Amino acid sequence: MSKSKLSILITLLFGATVLYFFWNQEEKVDFSTEIKPILNKHCITCHGGVKQSGGFSILFEEEAFAVNESGLPAIVPGSPNSSELIKRLTHSDPELRMPYERAPLSEEEIDLLKTWIKQGAKWGKHWAYEPVKKPKTPELVQTAGIGTGGSPSGLSPIDQFVGEKLEENGMSFSPEEQPLRLLRRVALDLTGLPPSGSLVADYSEGKITYEQAVDQLLESDTYGEKWATWWLDLARYADTKGYERDVSRTMWPYRDWVIRAFNDDKPFDEFTIEQLAGDLLPNPTQDQLTATAFHRNTMNNDEGGTEDEEFRIAALLDRVSTTYEVFQSTTMACVQCHSHTYDPIRHEEFYQSAAFFNNTRDEDTHDEEPRLRFYEEEQQGQVDALLSWVKDNEGEKAAKTRADFLKFYEPKYAAHLATDFNKSELIDTKWLGLWSGGSALYKNIDTQGSDQLLLDYWTGLDGTQMTIRKDGPAGEILASFVMNKTQGEVVKEIPFKPISGKVNLYIEARNPSAGPQQNTSTIVWLAFVPSLKGKEKPGFAQAQSNWDKLLKFRGTKLPILIENPPYMARKTNVFERGNWMVLGAEVSPKTPAEFGGWRAEWPANRLGFSYWLTSPENPLTSRTLVNRIWDQLFGRGIVATLEDMGSQSEPPTHPELLDYLAWETMNGHDWSMKSLIREIVTSATYKQSSIVSAAAFQQDPDNRWYARGPKFRLSAEQIRDQALTASGLLSHKMYGPSVKPAQPEGIWQTVYNGESWTESKGEDKYRRGIYTFLKRTSPYPSFITFDAASREVCLGKRLVTNTPLQALATLNDPVYLEAAKKLGESSWDKSAGNPDKAISLTYERLVFYPISESKKKTLLELYASAKTEFSRDSAALHEFYPGAKPDVAAMGVVANAMMNLDEFLTKP
Amino acid sequence: MKNLEKLFAELSVQKLQNQTRRHFLMDCVSKVGGLALAPLLFGCEPGTSAKAPTGLNLSERDLNPLAPLAPPFMGKAKSIIYLHMAGAPSQLELFDFKPELAKLHDQDCPESLLEGRKFAFIRGVPKMLGPQAKFSQHGESGAWVSDYLPHFSKVADEVAFLKAMHTDQFNHGPAQLFMQTGSPRLGRPSLGSWVTYGLGTENQNLPGFVVLTSGGKTPDAGKSVWGSGFLPSVYQGVQCRSKGDPVLYLEDPSGMSRDMKKNVISAINQVNKEDFEAFGDPEILARINQYEMAYRMQIEVPEVMNINDEPEHIHELYGTKPGEESFANNCLLARKLVEKGVRVVQLYDWGWDTHGTDHDGSIDMGLRNKCREIDRPMSALLLDLKQRGLLEETLVVWGGEFGRTPMQENREGKVQGFKGRDHHVDAFTMWVAGGGIKKGASYGITDDFGFSGVDERTSVHDLHATLLHLMGFDHEKFTYDFQGRPFRLTDVEGELIRKILA
Repeated sequence: MSKSKLSILITLLFGATVLYFFWNQEEKVDFSTEIKPILNKHCITCHGGVKQSGGFSILFEEEAFAVNESGLPAIVPGSPNSSELIKRLTHSDPELRMPYERAPLSEEEIDLLKTWIKQGAKWGKHWAYEPVKKPKTPELVQTAGIGTGGSPSGLSPIDQFVGEKLEENGMSFSPEEQPLRLLRRVALDLTGLPPSGSLVADYSEGKITYEQAVDQLLESDTYGEKWATWWLDLARYADTKGYERDVSRTMWPYRDWVIRAFNDDKPFDEFTIEQLAGDLLPNPTQDQLTATAFHRNTMNNDEGGTEDEEFRIAALLDRVSTTYEVFQSTTMACVQCHSHTYDPIRHEEFYQSAAFFNNTRDEDTHDEEPRLRFYEEEQQGQVDALLSWVKDNEGEKAAKTRADFLKFYEPKYAAHLATDFNKSELIDTKWLGLWSGGSALYKNIDTQGSDQLLLDYWTGLDGTQMTIRKDGPAGEILASFVMNKTQGEVVKEIPFKPISGKVNLYIEARNPSAGPQQNTSTIVWLAFVPSLKGKEKPGFAQAQSNWDKLLKFRGTKLPILIENPPYMARKTNVFERGNWMVLGAEVSPKTPAEFGGWRAEWPANRLGFSYWLTSPENPLTSRTLVNRIWDQLFGRGIVATLEDMGSQSEPPTHPELLDYLAWETMNGHDWSMKSLIREIVTSATYKQSSIVSAAAFQQDPDNRWYARGPKFRLSAEQIRDQALTASGLLSHKMYGPSVKPAQPEGIWQTVYNGESWTESKGEDKYRRGIYTFLKRTSPYPSFITFDAASREVCLGKRLVTNTPLQALATLNDPVYLEAAKKLGESSWDKSAGNPDKAISLTYERLVFYPISESKKKTLLELYASAKTEFSRDSAALHEFYPGAKPDVAAMGVVANAMMNLDEFLTKP
Repeated sequence: MKNLEKLFAELSVQKLQNQTRRHFLMDCVSKVGGLALAPLLFGCEPGTSAKAPTGLNLSERDLNPLAPLAPPFMGKAKSIIYLHMAGAPSQLELFDFKPELAKLHDQDCPESLLEGRKFAFIRGVPKMLGPQAKFSQHGESGAWVSDYLPHFSKVADEVAFLKAMHTDQFNHGPAQLFMQTGSPRLGRPSLGSWVTYGLGTENQNLPGFVVLTSGGKTPDAGKSVWGSGFLPSVYQGVQCRSKGDPVLYLEDPSGMSRDMKKNVISAINQVNKEDFEAFGDPEILARINQYEMAYRMQIEVPEVMNINDEPEHIHELYGTKPGEESFANNCLLARKLVEKGVRVVQLYDWGWDTHGTDHDGSIDMGLRNKCREIDRPMSALLLDLKQRGLLEETLVVWGGEFGRTPMQENREGKVQGFKGRDHHVDAFTMWVAGGGIKKGASYGITDDFGFSGVDERTSVHDLHATLLHLMGFDHEKFTYDFQGRPFRLTDVEGELIRKILA
């Protein structure tokens, strides 16, 4: 025996001994935590999802154990030696040894695989797909360093889980943060604003406890404004439609709904169901319909020449991906084109999910119908009177149909469905235009036997004879009417011959006074709503008059989701390679198998889907929510990859903590987000000081183990809101249309878009950032500079960057300068013209902490030099602060500097 | 050889700087900007984070995300000037000479060109529209250039033409996004953002990625064409304007002197320094650096944006008039910016959408006028870069978002009042010049009507792959993780266009 063979034998013997030792120990190898990571790291790129080299895939269980191209299964449970998988990992021929042309697996990895196969090769789920179970809270050995009252009994379960990991890492908690710094931290976290003067006074005088302060903050209206900002990033809320023309849309009622939902502490399950399927709830309220605008935040393309169906589908696919990302931390974008490479979700499962969402009425039309009508009080009176009359005279069902129509004008047929154009066109690929003598066809229209057509159009021409026939130019006449000049867009009631079943409508126009190739009108949509019955009955005239008035509605209209009636239902197909033009097999609504938890009694629509999302069996919804909220407070998720908890995610730093909070959220807190947030911010972990030594910082620069409090730069909106608050400029006005605070000239230059940035007046200039008008292709400049989202797509986490442009904004933007001057002047007045005191006061108003002598010295020097300069140069003084004395202007300069300090721009 | 020595010298300086990084940063923040040769931290493997690690084991990137980095391999070019003609110019009047099309002028379009095709506006059977310009061959390469571009025809030997470019988007917004971000939907990083993310920038007193617009409008797709998508916002294009502040909020508040501003920033940084010394949080160092940079930007940006001091012969060359918002001024600014070490300069000129609906949108008049606006300055830009030795390290790209049809546009049988062409995705011409590009090359052949590429077709992804290659990146390995998966500028496509490489 050669030396090398001997050494191999020894190695093998040694290996066998080790293995024997392991098997005897009966240490069960865990697939999810031990095997799956090895497979994902080394194998799955070539053997899973898209690529299945050698016919072998290790992505799904049945694939892994199937017979592959070699004619044999790669894994033989119980028998590592006859498993091809092991043979190939250890093969001596480099052409055959796997992974091909890469470094071999380590001995430990191969041994683990062998043990796993020996033990029967039990397949398992990735941790995130396992149901949430309540973990036991650990017992801590020591709790050194914890702040006031740091006895183990004072520790919350959160602290116990965090403490356990700290111990493992040889670290310990920091002391509790200084009271007012802590108050500033929690106020910024809960309300996005610094604490109010009265809260500071009550808390610092000991009139209220920290917990009571937290409760006050949670109860204030500003809480909803802060947390809605987070949600609106996920919901991709904006005030414009996106794409080329990017014109304004009315979405603000949805934004207001979100703010109210947070302030009312709407439980997260209801919050979810109403946004995804509020329209499908029995007798949905105006609020529940408003919530469905969540998925109308998708972009809408108005560019001439674009096909509405293409962009309807783009919106649909976005809704599927966004739903999975927001509620399941699951990346679906890959599955749109092929089975997931790493997670067990199949290509067709994406389209099965899409089938839930593919039956809404919206079709990327220019008017963004269906839209929910918000009637003013007087109009609502007309609605109620009309409906009560209809109910009495035509019955419950007729009243319900008419009530729905008045709410959101559905069902109706959009002009873009026209075909067979003859001397007619789809104007700007949006609306039907018929020239004199022209015609077009609407195919497969179900009029529901209605005796009346509602036609939405506008025209500048009088005397157009319109005729609607069945099927074609020689068909039966169903309607005949004259169109005259309109004052803008109108809805006209046109008698229509009742006809049952699906028909083709041939529509033609004649007007001798129209020029050649001139459109006789611009037609937007057709709807079939029966006329009011019972002319002879009392109150008819009033009812008809109310109806006519209501059809002229010009108020607030919010795009919402409305399900297709059965006769308009769409089929859903797989798109091969994600291409909407290449249809694969037809699919029906179904949730991914791996996630489990579907109950047969749920309807196979969006409502059933949202029940599935919010059921306690769904493994991802509660974990996702907890992880996102934790990230908002600590600047890092328990699973750092917020967008993905799948098998490619970063493993949770504190898995038991994640599951504990997820369990508590569903069971202890009944999905109350306020309770969850309260539990986190009252933990000792959250309350720790963020001030650490450089050495301690170096030990854990990312603060993964929470040996100190969370500290990071504030968000775009917080920075502005905080500056306005500190200077007393902030308006507390809530809700309503978005506002346009001062922005430099010439920012908006969008093509084919007549809109301009008209600066808001009065207090609207100083509203909270959440109310600032957000134009997707040209967002408010200082927000976008501070990493706010432009909200084209769902964004789970804003990256925090530091750029010189941010410094320029907070130094030079007139609104920040105005705030600084106000603050400086007010401190000056309050300190009776003592610069030393004024600086201390300003500093404390900004960061709620006494200034150090050395900082004060630096700022006093700045004050002195500015004062000298303003005293010398009265022209400069006048330009900087008209009417002010040099010392007040100089204090403004100092406040400008102080409002740019790292401490002020950062959560303490 | 000399360059190599220089690199080695800089590398050793870099090492030294790394050892004493904190002192270096605290003592001479203004010197930040030395060439960093640290390996890139791209997330090439699925699941790895592309973010630079934080902590006191800091890379220069942590303190300054725009600090220059070396590319994975030696690129031929250091910077890009991209001239985007928003609205899409007609290749058939400029570079793709089609005598056969002239013969078909005013005849019905052959059915074969219409079958199974969709156009943005053309409906029914349109007429063919012969070339409206006169063509001749130029230079040693014999490049075909029309009489719409008399100046450019003299420098045609400098560029490589891509004559069979194709795209799959026939509407402006999506097509511009596709051309600039590799995706027709909003939300992806632009080419300029990718390059700035990958390479940082040489001059820390100027933005790394500058955008200049002319023609009175921003492109159809809005600012998203220079957006950073999911990359950190620090890598988005900074629009420099010829009216108002060249960069937003660049100007000091009225009445605040430069000295006072200096004092303000010194005070801010002094206080922040005290906090850094107490807490050791490198975020604070980044903040200090950020304010220093802002101050320097306030000085340097107005200087570079001012073209008044350029000599008369330069104004003559470009046809520039100080104070205007014009393509000519922007070309001159592009040269100045690249000369100062800006990584990417993008020019968008609006007004190239020639449907024939009005005079300005006509192929025979409006297009000719637009060509007059760009002909001299873009030719001057090539010459000026060349005479300064900058052309060999700068990539210059010219093109629209798609091409125009060989047919005269009609809409549902409605013939336009002027000669116009509809949007066309199957064939259009772009050109590329400068660093690493083969001079006088012409790649891509279209059919007799200029309707489709028949050989050497190149896609938008191919163009991106090639531009990234010239900047030193393998487009397949240059990725960033977002929403749980790695993203590339070229998505899952893109082949190097080797034939136009020098």
